[in-house]
Amino acid sequence: MLGCGKDIVESAGVPRFVFSDFPLGNSCGKPFDLESQRGILGTALDLLESARSPRTTVQTPYRWAEDAAWKRDFYRLDLTPEQIANARAEMDKQKATLAAKLSAD
Amino acid sequence: MTTTEAPAEFIEATLDLPVRYIDRSRAHYLSLGYDNPYQWAHNLDVPFTPMKKPVSEARIAIVTTAAPYKPELGDQGPWAKYNADAKFTRVYSTPIDPAPDLRISHIGYDRKHTSAEDVNTYLPLQRAKEAAAEGRIGVLNERLYAVPTLRSQRLTTERDAPKVLDHCREDRIDAALLVAT
Repeated sequence: MLGCGKDIVESAGVPRFVFSDFPLGNSCGKPFDLESQRGILGTALDLLESARSPRTTVQTPYRWAEDAAWKRDFYRLDLTPEQIANARAEMDKQKATLAAKLSAD
Repeated sequence: MTTTEAPAEFIEATLDLPVRYIDRSRAHYLSLGYDNPYQWAHNLDVPFTPMKKPVSEARIAIVTTAAPYKPELGDQGPWAKYNADAKFTRVYSTPIDPAPDLRISHIGYDRKHTSAEDVNTYLPLQRAKEAAAEGRIGVLNERLYAVPTLRSQRLTTERDAPKVLDHCREDRIDAALLVAT
């Protein structure tokens, strides 16, 4: 498994996990950055052979940015009432769309 | 900023820790007024199979959660907003040559910091083809598999995962690279 959500993947439990401490959506490397993309795939291939037991996590050495400020921004908890209302309306819409797709399936 | 000055919800940024998505999504759902926050998967038993041959002699497949681009389903990026219409509901497989146009607008990734402009950030197909050409991978499986993201552990474990396993056995692959998005 290649991923960026360490707690989610480790809670689910997988045989081998290559963790990159990047924003969700970048499990395979940084955009337009061959070094991290090659390095992460290489780490995954190495781990296939080197792991000896389940739940083996390897963290790749790459940094998303010099500082870690991006970690504040996903699901921020300091929303205004208006932002909360908008987020709730959007989430309700998404749930309805998914439910319609599943019932039509 | 020191640890004691930092608001608790920003502790990951302050100490540069991995983001606690489970805690944060739970708090987020509750703050929106839902009383049933998402239950993340938690397995006590995790399987493990050692490789029986070197990767350089193995057949390797990619498993993705990305969706085929369908222009009629609205904006699918880069920079697309979350697009539930672009979700797919069944496991599919697709040839890797020519490279399929797969997108992730239907997934809740970090939209402030992630553009999804470069497919190689969420689908390692091109890099894996290069690794196969260099001999690092024995054979890259001629098709990849995709798993839908439906917020249902039951569908994933009882319906979709067995389907992917069937594909893996049909293709006689030795190992799969699962990419979480």
